[in-house]
Formats: sequence, structure tokens, C-alpha cells
Amino acid sequence: MRDDINVDKALDLSGLACPMPVVKVSKGIKEIEVGQVLEATTTDPGSLTDFPAWARTSGNEILKTDQDGDTIKFYIQRKA
Amino acid sequence: MDVQSFTAQDLFTWLVEKEDFLLLDVRNDEEFGRFKVEGPYPIDMVNVPYMEFIEHEEESVAKVPKGKKVMVVCAKEGSSKFVAEILINHGFEGVAHMLVGIKAWGNLLSPIRIGGGSDYELHQFRRPGKASCSYGLVCGTEMMVFDPAKNIDAYLELAKNKGCTITRTFETHRQADYISGSMALNAKHGVEIVAPEVDFQVATFDFTPAGDKTVYRFSNGGPEIKAIHTPGHTPGSTSYLIDNRFIVAGDTVLIYSIGRPDLGGMAKEWSKLLFDTMTHKILKWDPSILALPGHYTDWKEANNELIFMESLKKIKEINADIYAIEDEDTFYTFIEANMRQQPEEYAKIREINAGLVTVDEENADIMDLGKNECAASQMAK
Repeated sequence: MRDDINVDKALDLSGLACPMPVVKVSKGIKEIEVGQVLEATTTDPGSLTDFPAWARTSGNEILKTDQDGDTIKFYIQRKA
Repeated sequence: MDVQSFTAQDLFTWLVEKEDFLLLDVRNDEEFGRFKVEGPYPIDMVNVPYMEFIEHEEESVAKVPKGKKVMVVCAKEGSSKFVAEILINHGFEGVAHMLVGIKAWGNLLSPIRIGGGSDYELHQFRRPGKASCSYGLVCGTEMMVFDPAKNIDAYLELAKNKGCTITRTFETHRQADYISGSMALNAKHGVEIVAPEVDFQVATFDFTPAGDKTVYRFSNGGPEIKAIHTPGHTPGSTSYLIDNRFIVAGDTVLIYSIGRPDLGGMAKEWSKLLFDTMTHKILKWDPSILALPGHYTDWKEANNELIFMESLKKIKEINADIYAIEDEDTFYTFIEANMRQQPEEYAKIREINAGLVTVDEENADIMDLGKNECAASQMAK
């Protein structure tokens, strides 16, 4: 299911508790170009609502969210 | 950086004592919209999500009014500390953050003595995060608990202070909106569970069926506790009459409204049961009996001492539109007109409360968080 999304950078945020996943993804997205995609892996269930809230605030777009057990993967496109 | 901290108990104390402070909730707007801190008096509260502090620090800081103490809360304490540090760096004074996070607020139980007799004391455990109440009845060296929440330490602490052991819990019904503490009290402290058979027949743990009109006592006598079947909110719903003076009514008699009979997906059938309970039981009970509800909708229902307790006489007056209904069909029309969706986790909480499913502590906290949705009608704001 991943072949439709081309990942430009990946961040493993497993084991981190809030606010660190959002702090790091905020920083990470600025290290790719507009239009490129960041893959962020978290294990914090809070990120399921925190990442979308962060994306709205920062003006970026979550293209897809995959959940496998405790692991959550976000595919985020830099928009701004 | 060292940031001052406070506990959920501190927060409740300040709300009760009308301390002047700003409550800054930094959870995302979705979580904040779903569940927020409530207290007996108006709260000066703002929601500025922590991700806004990360993305737009200056604008977010500007949203926090200066001049008052700022108490910061978040889901799990990390983000509240993070935001508190930002505020301190911007020159704010009197900033502190809540330990553990919002779940500590959700689990907080605050006991208050509500009455008693020559040989017993009755305590109400208010749960401000759930808008629910449970009860502790102390007599001699024994304590019995009605509808315990999963934060059993609060009951054990009162028992310890009173030099008691908890010997028995009573369940008014199989709850859908919170995880019961009876199983944990039984497993860890050998407490006997008395529960309505109809609601608990699928349970995987041992319990004593609450027989209609059965009287329970303490080993040295004490006040009489009489089980009275009051089906409707659930088919097994049972109320417990203590000393002919107090009735622990679960979600059957509430101070505002009446317990909704539509949570089990059989609104019509259960509504019939509830109407029967209302007309043949509640309306016939001594009006001076004090009802002790399992839930409230609003702090306005509490009395001047912040206790949720009201005479049946007054309850019938407050809810005259419900208690005056004379036939089953009109009653169902009222129920139907007020029906609304129930939170999706209720089905799973019901299974947990029968021991059919077990969840770890973190998931239990997540599922257990949120205000109850158990009254048939919502209070007009």
C-alpha cells in the first residue's frame, strides 16, 4: 500500500512521549522541500489526534496514517 | 528548568475554594472539545494547544492573559511542562503544571461525609471528571462501597482513616460509562461483590446476586441495607435503601432527569420497565427519603455543601415533566425525543465490567476518561 507514496525522509519517534514527537516532526518537516513527504513513526497513542492538530496548525498535510498494533506511521507532505 | 507542579487534587481544592487563576489546557482542540475540566463555580479557562506553541510561539503566548497565576494541564504532563517553560521564559510568573495529566483529573475521587446515624457514617465520593458519585458506608470496623470507580485507592484510604476494612461492594447495575472498581477490590482485597443477577449473569467473576427486598447488614448489626429492584436504566438495575433514609439509586433516580433506558439498544422494552419502576416504586416511596444519585449532569445539582443529595419530594418537583407522565406511550415518546448517541467505548466498558475483556492500565484510563452520558434528557444551559 506504500507504493503510491514516495517517502523523502523518515523519522523514528518510537518511545517518545509528548511533546517530543510533535517537536521533532515540526523540525523534520522543515528539512525537506515543499511537496516532499516525511514518514514519521510513533508509538504514542496521543499522536493520533495530536499529529492532525499539528498539521492543521502548521499548514502541512497528512496523506495517510497506518496503524499496526502500537506503531503508528504518518505520511506527511510539506505544504508550506 | 524546574517548573512548579500541582496535582489533580490541588486543582479540585482550588476550584472549590474559588482561587483566582487561569487554567490553560494545552491539549489539542479535539480532545479539549470532548472533555474538559468542570467545577462547582465558573472557571477561567483557555485552550491553546501545545502544537501551536511549537509552531507559532509568540502568537500563542499572546493568547495567554497575564496577571494571574497560570495552571497548565495536558494529556500526560509532558506538554504542560513544555508550555509552562515557554511561559516562564516569556516572563510569566506563578506558572505551574499538573502532574500525570488529564487522566489524573478523570480518576480523581473526592470524598465528603453526607450523613449518618448513631452507629454509621455515609460518605459520597464525587468524581468531578466523570460527573459521577459512589458511596462508602462505614460502621464499626467495616466499610461497604456502592458503585466503586476503578481508582480503588480512594476507598481504601477512607477505610484506613476510619480503621476499617472494606468487606463488600454493591453494584447498582452493570455500568457502561465507567470501569467498576469492584473486580479490583475483590481480586486484591477479597471483597464480596453484591450485584444484580440480570445484569451480571455473563460475568466471569463470582458475585452474590442482589435479591429483591433482601436485607444486608454489618457483622455487628448497624444500618439495614435493603436491595430493591428498580429495572429500566438496565434490566437488572437495583437500588439500595440504607437505614430507611438514604437510597443509593444508581442511574435510576437522578437529581436532574432520570436514567436513560436506551443504552442497551432496547429503548422501547427498557423504557417500559423504567415507567413501571417510576410509577409503582419511586412514586410510592416515602418522599422524605434522600436520593443519592450515581451521576449528575451539572454542578448546579449539588447543594450548598457541594453534596449531590436530594429528597424524593424535591426530585419529583424538579422533574415534574417526567414524573407526571401517566402512561407508558407518552413516557416512551419523551425518551425517544431525548435519545442521543452513546459514546462508542460504552459497549467495551460493559464487557470489561463483566470480566469478559481485560485491558491494561493505560487503555483503561483512556476508555474511562470523559463525562457520563447517562441521563435521559440534557440540562438546558
